[in-house]
Amino acid sequence: MLDVGRHPNIELLTLCQPTKVEGEEGNFRVQYLKKARYVKEDVCTACGICAEKCPIKVSDDFELGLAKRKAIYIYFPQGVPPVYTIDPEHCTMILKGKCGLCARVCEAQAIDYNQNDEERTINVGAIVVATGFSQLKPTALKNYGYGQYANVLTGLEFERLLSATGPTGGHIIRPSDSKTPRKIVFIQCVGSRMAKGDGYPYCSVYCCTNSIKCALLAKTHDPDIKEISILYMDLRTYGKGFQELFLRAEEVEGVKFLRGRPARVEEDPLTRSLTIMVENTETNRIEPLAADIVVLSTAAIPSTGAKEVARILGIEVDSYGFFKERDFHNPTEATRPGVYIAGSCSSPRDITDSVAWGTATAVKALTHMEGARIAQKEIEVEPIDTSGEPRIGVFVCHCGINIAGVVDVEEVNQFAQTLPGVVYSARMLFACSDDSQREIQYKIKEYQLNRVVVASCTPRTHEPIFRETCGLAGLNPYLFEMANIRDQCSWVHASTPKEATEKAKDLVRMAVARCHLLQPLESRQMPMNPDMLVVGGGITGMQASVDLARLGHKVTLVEKEERLGGRVKELSTFYEENYDGQQLISEKVKQLESAGVNILTSTMVKEVNGFVGNFEVTLQSLQHQEKTSTLQVGSIAVAIGSDLFNPTGKFGYSSFPNVMTNMEMERLLKEDSPELTRNNKESKNIVFVQCVGSRNKKDGNPDCSRYCCSVAIKQALKLREKGAQVVILYRDIIAFGKGVEELYRKARGEGVIFLRYDEEHPPQVIGKGRATSIKWMFSPLNQEIELPVDLVVLSVGMVARKVDAEQIQEQLKIPRSLDGFFMERHSKLGPVETSTEGIYICGCAQSPKDITDSVAQASAAASKMAVMASKEFVELEPTTCVVREDLCRGCGNCQEVCQFHAPELVETPEGNYVSRINEALCKGCGTCASLCPTGAIVARHFTDRQIDKMVEAMLTGSL
Amino acid sequence: MAKMKKQEEFEPKIVVFACNWCSYAGADTAGVSKIQYHHNVRLIRVMCSGRVNPAFVIKAFEQGADGVMVSGCHFGDCHYIFGNYQAKERFEMLKRLIHLLGLEKARLRLEWVSAAEGGRFAQVVNEFVEDVKKVGRSPLAPIKT
Ligand code: FES
Repeated sequence: MLDVGRHPNIELLTLCQPTKVEGEEGNFRVQYLKKARYVKEDVCTACGICAEKCPIKVSDDFELGLAKRKAIYIYFPQGVPPVYTIDPEHCTMILKGKCGLCARVCEAQAIDYNQNDEERTINVGAIVVATGFSQLKPTALKNYGYGQYANVLTGLEFERLLSATGPTGGHIIRPSDSKTPRKIVFIQCVGSRMAKGDGYPYCSVYCCTNSIKCALLAKTHDPDIKEISILYMDLRTYGKGFQELFLRAEEVEGVKFLRGRPARVEEDPLTRSLTIMVENTETNRIEPLAADIVVLSTAAIPSTGAKEVARILGIEVDSYGFFKERDFHNPTEATRPGVYIAGSCSSPRDITDSVAWGTATAVKALTHMEGARIAQKEIEVEPIDTSGEPRIGVFVCHCGINIAGVVDVEEVNQFAQTLPGVVYSARMLFACSDDSQREIQYKIKEYQLNRVVVASCTPRTHEPIFRETCGLAGLNPYLFEMANIRDQCSWVHASTPKEATEKAKDLVRMAVARCHLLQPLESRQMPMNPDMLVVGGGITGMQASVDLARLGHKVTLVEKEERLGGRVKELSTFYEENYDGQQLISEKVKQLESAGVNILTSTMVKEVNGFVGNFEVTLQSLQHQEKTSTLQVGSIAVAIGSDLFNPTGKFGYSSFPNVMTNMEMERLLKEDSPELTRNNKESKNIVFVQCVGSRNKKDGNPDCSRYCCSVAIKQALKLREKGAQVVILYRDIIAFGKGVEELYRKARGEGVIFLRYDEEHPPQVIGKGRATSIKWMFSPLNQEIELPVDLVVLSVGMVARKVDAEQIQEQLKIPRSLDGFFMERHSKLGPVETSTEGIYICGCAQSPKDITDSVAQASAAASKMAVMASKEFVELEPTTCVVREDLCRGCGNCQEVCQFHAPELVETPEGNYVSRINEALCKGCGTCASLCPTGAIVARHFTDRQIDKMVEAMLTGSL
Repeated sequence: MAKMKKQEEFEPKIVVFACNWCSYAGADTAGVSKIQYHHNVRLIRVMCSGRVNPAFVIKAFEQGADGVMVSGCHFGDCHYIFGNYQAKERFEMLKRLIHLLGLEKARLRLEWVSAAEGGRFAQVVNEFVEDVKKVGRSPLAPIKT
């Protein structure tokens, strides 16, 4: 949020609502209503006195009514912009002209009761809609008792209880009596996957994993919570790492997973405890389950007002009221050209996918804007003199009660004042809030601080923010240091406040000690090459290339096969569409050609050198081994896709000719093979086995492969049309995308039979020469079942490419996770970035995906690359290693250990050898520095002396 | 009584060198998930476990650390590809070195913790603190005055 608030290209219009949109893509005229805030945005300092004094208390919607706020308020503490707002429905001054207290206490004189709503207009080239979703209030679903029983909560309400800044300060308590619950039961699919009544037919996607997360948090939070159960229908842990989360919950933390939708929740009027009537899946009987708190995972529904937004923007909604996507392979485009949709406003989505979708819209919107550039912030400030004695400022953050609830912040502050070099020290409620940032800048100037320490949260997320703040005040950003007294102190030593305070003091002392030795560093600028390389010519790589080339970039797409299109080109017609994979690919090829992408098939990447903005790539032709060429690019997207799990030796695959993979079934369907149609009125018995090489620790992909349930359902529907008997053997039907749950229901309606098997008892395929039957333990009946088969289809999972992925990892130096897929920078916030700047990943190379998710991620990667290319220069981190040549003996250890070829031995005029580090290649890990026998290598910003000093400060208390 | 005993209990001082990308992040994850662990540890952030010069560890012991842990990414996860292999190599050498200094091997530990493994971080720290408590104050620690 802070980023959005600070970005020079973003103008934030809050409290605004579009009222009319005229024009067309590239040139929209948007009328909007700016609602009165009754507070002058540019004057308010968010000091909070007004809210403190305001006499009117109202229910706080951010806390879902679990707490109260005032009639003048900030929606939530870290909100952007950080200014107060008067709630005109409750403020007595606005309503009746009585009170006026806030205006009197506001020193900044920011209050203006006479503000009116204003009509304004703005001209834009494209519109992105990201209005999110609402959550179903389950009051209408009477059997769950929400609204009647105090201890029945929604998932979101429970999240507020878990939040340290929430109404209970992060304590999980029963609303009825404020006691810690011992038993918590989560009920899934409340209002989701309900075809009848007051629910919705679709799957809300994120709730299974979200409940697992909440259960884990609750478990680790409070040892008094003894028993947590999750009642579910299918466990839809579809995302990267979700299965692992589930296993941790079940195996390590003992969370119970019970399959079944409960009939009703009842309350004991005396104890206010709850009983859930639910089927025990082991005994098949309806049994009562006791709970102190029941958490309802409620459906995600179209946001209130979505229909109105659709009407104003002239875009269509689906039958539920979510915005319609143009089609499944243009998922970020709304039905009106120039309008794009992101996140859950088009269908429920988790954070990771929403971020990818949001990022994807950027590249689409850019097509309507010519020559867009990142505005450079012009800062003109008097630089702070850093040459003299250290003048250190220490800011100790309360982080609301996150830190102050455990650590004695004032004691830490007092302590900091006693440390040598510290000339100023103060406490702050939220050091990262906008007003605190201004305060820090102000103090730097006032006290001429030439070093700054902030004791708050983790530098991994907040160092960049504070560094920028220092820079804005004229202080070199590398003269800043953080002490992590929240994530690594108050949050993990909650029960020992005294010791936590001592630890916080130590951490501050260590930070101050290091600060004494910090040196100003200047980042270097290197030219940015705007050309790009996309590796992999499947649907993902093609989409990324088209998006980029449409912006006028020079894009090269390399594919090692002779033809573009990867696996998609082999697919039969898409369900309820009249085109097949090949046609989709041909369409994309046309787009590639008209956009002018340089397509190189039968080509592989041989070598990559350089760094962001300046890569040199050597390509090799696979047809003429001796033919290589080089290419200069500024950024690279890796879209090499995945492999399918090879089931040889399992389920009779490769021993019986009538056992095939789902991909082979696609081919039969595409050819309309006679094998599939009934002969002599005998219908074919076709059995699908799901999760072959998916959600399996030992074999294949440990996670869900995301595409196989919906593919099996579509294939089954097509086979039903041909008159086959179809049975699908599954562990959980993970029908999680837009429209998939509906297809699942349709398939059941069309007579496709879904039967469950357990991971421990996989089906066995029986036969001689040919598979004749399939046998498995049908757990709901605790009985073995054997079915005759004509064909067995194995829905195989996606696994990481082996050789290709290894090569790419080696060439680009980007890490892969344990499952072999490439690792994103951050699972939620950086799903297409890698740890190396300028290198992006998308599609199945990152983790399994269907076409829709792959192309969305491709566009997201393209957005990131387009932003990169719009810069004139790349800024290189100055925290690299340098060699003190007077000490270097030229042993070559550093050259040997460095994976990035940064150090190089060069001959001096005297005929000796010394090492020189190419700073553009150095990533600053410092491994060479610790290996250097003479100590000639200095790891900037992590020097030996700086580290030694911290150790010393911690252990001896000296500075 | 119980309280008295607690006060007398030996509270070791433990230095943890943690790489920025996995282990330091794993410690943050423990925080975010509120997984509690012993307060005796102080983390020093380095970019990679490969940055940890054996001299840092030796100096820490000389200055009275009761235990030192080096923590990095799992093999294959190192942000800089092989930094943790270097750390491992040096760790083997350090083990011999601290033996020469007359220190118990329980005082030195190398652990791989990923950014997601908050629980593991807490568990490893707790085990280590307990182990160090068992061997008691470091013989190199200055006598408390
Ligand atoms: S970055 Fe974690 S060990 Fe190298």
